Amino acid sequence: MKLYTYGIIDSSSQINKPIYGLEGAGVYNIPYCDIGAVVSEFTEPRQSKTESSVLAHEEVIERLMEHFTVLPVRFHTIFNGRDGVISMMQSYYKDFRNNIDRLRNKVEFGIKVIWPSGKIKEHIINTCDKKVSIPDDSSNKRFIREKFEKYRIDEEFEKKANKYINVMDIFFSKYAAEKKLKKLKTENLLLDAVYLVEKDKQNDFRQAFEHIKSGRPDFKYLFSGPWPSYNFVILSKKNDLLKDSEQKDLFNKVIQLQDLVGADKI
Amino acid sequence: MTLNSMIETDFPEEFVEEMGKSQNVLPKRIDANPKNVEKGLAKLVLTLIELIRKLLEKQAMRRVEAGSLSDEQIENVGETLMKLESKMEELKQIFGLKDEELNLNLGPLGDLM
Amino acid sequence: MHNVAIKSKDVTLLEILDRVLEKGVVISGDAVISVADVDLIYLGLKVLLSSVETMEKLRGSPFISPMQEAN
Repeated sequence: MKLYTYGIIDSSSQINKPIYGLEGAGVYNIPYCDIGAVVSEFTEPRQSKTESSVLAHEEVIERLMEHFTVLPVRFHTIFNGRDGVISMMQSYYKDFRNNIDRLRNKVEFGIKVIWPSGKIKEHIINTCDKKVSIPDDSSNKRFIREKFEKYRIDEEFEKKANKYINVMDIFFSKYAAEKKLKKLKTENLLLDAVYLVEKDKQNDFRQAFEHIKSGRPDFKYLFSGPWPSYNFVILSKKNDLLKDSEQKDLFNKVIQLQDLVGADKI
Repeated sequence: MTLNSMIETDFPEEFVEEMGKSQNVLPKRIDANPKNVEKGLAKLVLTLIELIRKLLEKQAMRRVEAGSLSDEQIENVGETLMKLESKMEELKQIFGLKDEELNLNLGPLGDLM
Repeated sequence: MHNVAIKSKDVTLLEILDRVLEKGVVISGDAVISVADVDLIYLGLKVLLSSVETMEKLRGSPFISPMQEAN
């Protein structure tokens, strides 16, 4: 009996309200000690990795979030049977327990900010009165000079980015227990951040966002949430299947490269 | 869609575009199709070489900024960097790869650097 | 092929896909018979859920840039 797994919850009780997941199957809780794995029976049809099944998965997790602390499980995690699920919980118990305690009563918010990088760079070029003291009496030196000018602009650009991000982060962090920031993922995407916020501080967090937004109306903002803590689950067990396979991929690529270039050992 | 999560933005397409640009260049799975193996490998190798080249360039810029290079050294560094850059262009052309394709998104590691 | 054109409200789907496919707990073990091997690929303003079957179909499509080709 294949079991599609949605998440781990901090309860060993049955789920009272009817929740339906993939293939319209009813969702139920498999308990272990004081936690449980929420699953539904799954026949694994050929076309199961679809947009609608992703949405069905997410909806189950959001319904669960209303009543439990949920550790969301990666899409399309399927077990061979009830025993498999239970032994999994046995080996991950400590990790799950720690995460549940840490994440209880907290939700995740996502904030993305786009800034007008072109205008920012223009401003930097216009206000930068630096005298570049590099002689340009040869093509090699001119090359360096150009590179250096570009380098100075890029440095200023990054400095400005950090300045804006810090201002925003200070406001958001007041109400956040944890955070993860990605700065300048692209030139335009100034910030891609997720914040872990206590449920009773949600409104304050939202206010902080509105405040920041009004402070720089020339920037573009995306606010998402509340989500279950997708980005804040930490597993200490080195059982991350995907990471293992990524490493294997890279390793295999190196082997292939060895063959391709005829090298004995890289 | 009856999801409780809100996603709010006045500029959905801009965000989709930026998220698209920032996607990882290195593929997650092995592509066993022989036609693509070579290209995938070339991309991997050139991405790493490009990374090293950029680091070297940055290091040179820092020294120029600090004023610790003599006239002659600036000349030599300029010549070397120019040659490296044109070599990379050549390689990129040979494998039909564009700049954006070699942008190694280091993710969290990028913050460490 | 599961192809989602980005209309103005579909950035929602993107945010969901990013979390459900890329984040969350990854469990491995003997009893696990499947974990998502679904890539989220951005194709201009279109978002695709790609499994191996999808990539087979996409090869040769005029809309795929060499970057996706190498995937």
